Amino acid sequence: MTPLRSLFEWVDKFPTSIAIREGAVAFPLLLTIHVVSMCLFAGLVIMMDLRLLGVGNLRTPFSQVQRRLFPWQLAGITMNAITGLILVYGQPMRYYSNIFFWVKTIMMILAGANMMAFHNSTYHSIAKWDSAATLPFWAKMAAVVSLVLWAGVIMSGRLIAYNWFNPV
Amino acid sequence: MLLPFFTWLGNTTIAVTIRDSVWIYALDQALHLLCLAIFAGAVLIVDLRLLGRGMRDRPVSQVTRDAQPWMVWGLIGLTATGIPQLMSNSIKEYYSGYFWVKMGILLVAFIYMFSIRNRVAMADEGRVAPIRSKLVGFVSIVLWAGVAITARLIGLLS
Repeated sequence: MTPLRSLFEWVDKFPTSIAIREGAVAFPLLLTIHVVSMCLFAGLVIMMDLRLLGVGNLRTPFSQVQRRLFPWQLAGITMNAITGLILVYGQPMRYYSNIFFWVKTIMMILAGANMMAFHNSTYHSIAKWDSAATLPFWAKMAAVVSLVLWAGVIMSGRLIAYNWFNPV
Repeated sequence: MLLPFFTWLGNTTIAVTIRDSVWIYALDQALHLLCLAIFAGAVLIVDLRLLGRGMRDRPVSQVTRDAQPWMVWGLIGLTATGIPQLMSNSIKEYYSGYFWVKMGILLVAFIYMFSIRNRVAMADEGRVAPIRSKLVGFVSIVLWAGVAITARLIGLLS
């Protein structure tokens, strides 16, 4: 048995995990908050990425869009992370055996890596292209990768409801 | 009164095709959620600005003009992916209280957006009292959150 599977199976037996999964209120409540906070996080990340790509919000310098939206993106992803973790905590084996859950997880990790790579390289030369309508290739690249990955996260997240490829 | 119409919707070729397919409905739901994120981003960037938050170095009208095309595309995408869901699921939706509440709030939110909110958001700088613009942004957030929440509950609780 892999360590990852043992971890999920271990959590599965917690009394609080069982309580969440057997309660009628927790799942719809958490999922609804998860969707609404996703709108806050992903919506404002998309708005920022469109600016970085050079197709939206062009009347505002990129650094300003980034700085002003960041606290709200952070608020959104914090709510997303809390509700998401409780959802998994409540039904660990359901998620463990779902391919879309793992596709989503991997895409989130890649989206985070893309964000960090952008901040530690291309973003250093921000002063040169902050207000430009035509952005450097690597800035646009970071925006496209981010848009594709977050779109994938949203879509695979929705598809977790379907268990077409479950092993059992 | 609308039941014959909903029954007819559910019997159309499109509705039957969607129901017979394993993945069309699921993919449609996933795309609907993606369009929601785009739409919500374009709405929130303006509503936060109306509240005096977010992009506050820029005039409201400018933020609104920049967000407008994405708001419209998001709305078109939501409609295009929403109608097939309604068609293939018409009888369940007809008997779902959440569906009708969602459509009611949606109608109000839609009219509000293109009347009151648009007028305030496009007004020249300094012509709208801060308290008024804050109220307009707040009401917009509440209305659209209401649409999203009741929509999610159609699937979860109906």
